[in-house]
Amino acid sequence: MVPQDLFLGRTPDITMLEEECDIPALISHLASREPDIQVAAAEALARMGSPATGPLIAALRTRKRARRLGIIAALGQIGDVQALDALDGLTKDQSSEIRWQACIALGQIEGGGAVPVLLFSLRDRDKYVRYASAVSLNKAGYVPETDDDRAWFSAGMQDWERLTALRNAAVPVLTSLLSDPDADLRRKAARALGAIGSSDAGPALLHALGDEDRQVRWEAMLASQMCEVPSMLLPRGLCRRPRLRKNPLVAGILNFLLPGLGYGYLGKWWGIMIFQIDITTTVWIFKYYGEANTYGILFPLYIILGVHAWYITKKMPEEPP
Amino acid sequence: MPLSDLLTRYPADIRNLYAVRDVPTLIRFMGHPDPKNRTIAVDTLTDIGAPAVPALISALRSPRSYVRLGAIEALAGIRDPASAGPLITHLQKEKHSELLCAVIFALGETGSPEAIPCQVHLLSDNAKYLRLAAAVSLERLGWEPENERDRLRYRIARCDWDAVRKAGPAAVPWLCDISQDPDPAIRSRVISLLGEIGAGEGCRACEAGIRDRDPGVRWASVLAAMNCGITPARMPLFLASRERTGPNPAAAGILNFLFLGLGYNYIGKWWGFPVFMAYMSVIVLAQLATSPFLPYLVAYPVTAFLGLHTYYLARRISDQG
Repeated sequence: MVPQDLFLGRTPDITMLEEECDIPALISHLASREPDIQVAAAEALARMGSPATGPLIAALRTRKRARRLGIIAALGQIGDVQALDALDGLTKDQSSEIRWQACIALGQIEGGGAVPVLLFSLRDRDKYVRYASAVSLNKAGYVPETDDDRAWFSAGMQDWERLTALRNAAVPVLTSLLSDPDADLRRKAARALGAIGSSDAGPALLHALGDEDRQVRWEAMLASQMCEVPSMLLPRGLCRRPRLRKNPLVAGILNFLLPGLGYGYLGKWWGIMIFQIDITTTVWIFKYYGEANTYGILFPLYIILGVHAWYITKKMPEEPP
Repeated sequence: MPLSDLLTRYPADIRNLYAVRDVPTLIRFMGHPDPKNRTIAVDTLTDIGAPAVPALISALRSPRSYVRLGAIEALAGIRDPASAGPLITHLQKEKHSELLCAVIFALGETGSPEAIPCQVHLLSDNAKYLRLAAAVSLERLGWEPENERDRLRYRIARCDWDAVRKAGPAAVPWLCDISQDPDPAIRSRVISLLGEIGAGEGCRACEAGIRDRDPGVRWASVLAAMNCGITPARMPLFLASRERTGPNPAAAGILNFLFLGLGYNYIGKWWGFPVFMAYMSVIVLAQLATSPFLPYLVAYPVTAFLGLHTYYLARRISDQG
C-alpha cells in the first residue's frame, strides 16, 4: 500500500509522473490498493519501455506481494527480453499468484525465449499457473512435440476432449490431476480416465475412491468400471474415505461434565440453552440447599444426559459414501 | 485404533501361517492395524481356498468391520457357490455401506444363480453405490434382463443416462423411483432427464424437486417443470413450501429472548457472544444488588423485543438460496 492512499485520499497524477519520467514514483504506485492506479502505473512504465526494466527488476526485491504483482505486470507489458531471467525465477515463487502473474508476463515477451520456462510451469501444482502457461505458450505459437507435452498442454488449457483423445498418453497427466486441490478438476480427471478406459489408471482410481469429495469418489467408482479395476477392490478403496462422524464418547463426556455442550457438539441449537439453564439452576440450588445436596440432585441427571448424548450419537446414521 | 488392537497379539510373520493353514489366526490378521497385513491375510486365505470357507462364513459375524470386509473379499476370491447363501443372509444384516457393496460384488464372484433375485431387487435401491454394484454383479453372473422394465432399471443403475433418455416415457416410473436419491447430483440428473423426456408422469417427481433442500436440484426442477406439465404459476408455490435449510427462526428468537446474544450468535453474528456475556454480567450484578427475580422482570420486555428482531433476521437468512 502506498502512504498517499492512506493519508491523502486523492488519486495520484500518473500522467504527470510519466511526463516527468519519475520511474521510482510510478513503481511505488504499482503497490496501490486501487487496481486502476496499479494498471495505470504499469501502462505508464510500459510506455517508457526498456529504461524502466532495470529499476523494475531491482524493485522486485521487495517482499510485498501487491507491489511484486504490479512490477511483474509492468515487466510483461514492456516485453523486454532482459526481464526473462527475473521472471524465470518468479515462476518458482511460493505464492501461486506471483507464479501466475509471471507466466502471463512471460507470454508477453517476444522471441520464444520463455518457452522452456513455461513448459516447466505447465506442470505446476496450481491450475491458474498451468492455465496461464498454456495460454502464454499458445501465444508464443508453441506446438507440442511429444504426447506428454501435448497432454500437459491440453490439461493446462482445460481442454478435456483433446486430453481424452490422447488416450493412454494422457493417463499419467490425468493421474497427477487426481491430486489437484480443486475437487472439480479431480472429478473431471476421473471422468476422463473413465472415458479413456486404460487399466494403467487403476491404482490412481482406487486411491481416488478415498477422496474427501463425494462426487470425486463417485466418478472414480464409475471410471473404475471402465478401466477394468477388479470390483472386489472397490469397497476397500471406499473404506478409506474421511469420516465426518461425531464421536459418541466426546458427546457423552461433554454432556456429563458440561450439560448441554454435548448436544451443542452434535449441532443441536438448544444445547447452549440447556447449558445456560444448568448453570443458573446449579447456582440457585447451591445457594438454597448447599453443596452436597446440589451434587446429590444434579449428579444422576448429568449421568442421564451424558448417556443420552452418547446414545443419540451412536444411533446417528453414517454419511453415505 | 480400536482398543482391541492394543490387546491383540499378532504373530511376527504372517506368511508362515499359510504353511500351517492357521485359518483362525489369519482371520484375526484381517483386522490388523497395518493395511498391508490385512491384504496379505485376505490373499493367503483366498489361496487356502475351500477349507477356509466355514471359518470365513463365521467371520461375517465379527463385530470388527475390517474382519468382515476381509472375510467377504476372501469368500469372493475363493468363488465357492456354497458361500452365496450366507452372503445373501449377511446382506440383510450388514449396516456399513461399503461392506454392503462388497457383499454384492462378492455375490457376483460366487457365480451362483441363487444370488440373482436379490441383486435384481437391489437395482432399485435408494443408494447409488448399491445399485451400481448390483448391476456390475449381475453382469458378472451372466444375467440378461428378462423384460424392458429390468433392462431400464439396469441402465439406470449403471448411470447409462443416454440409453435411459432414448427409452422415453417408459423410463419415467423408474426415474421417479430414484428421484429421492441421497445424492443431489443424481437427483438433479434424474429431474433433468424427466424434463428432457417430457412425459407428464414425471410431474410429481418434478414438483418434489422444486421443493428439494438442494438449490441445484430446485433449479434443475424449475427448468424441467414446463416439459413435465407443471404450469409456471404453480412453481413459486412449490418453491415457497420447500424445507428451509438456514437457521431456525424460532430457535433464534427463543435463544435471544432467554439468553440475549446467543440468538445473534446462532445466526452467525460474531458479536453475539460478547453481547451474551455482557447481558449475563449485568443480570448477575443486578441480582446481587436487588433480588433474584426483579432484574428478569426488567430484562424480559427488552429481550422479547430483541428476540423478535432475531426471529425476523433468521427468517430473512433462511429465505435465501
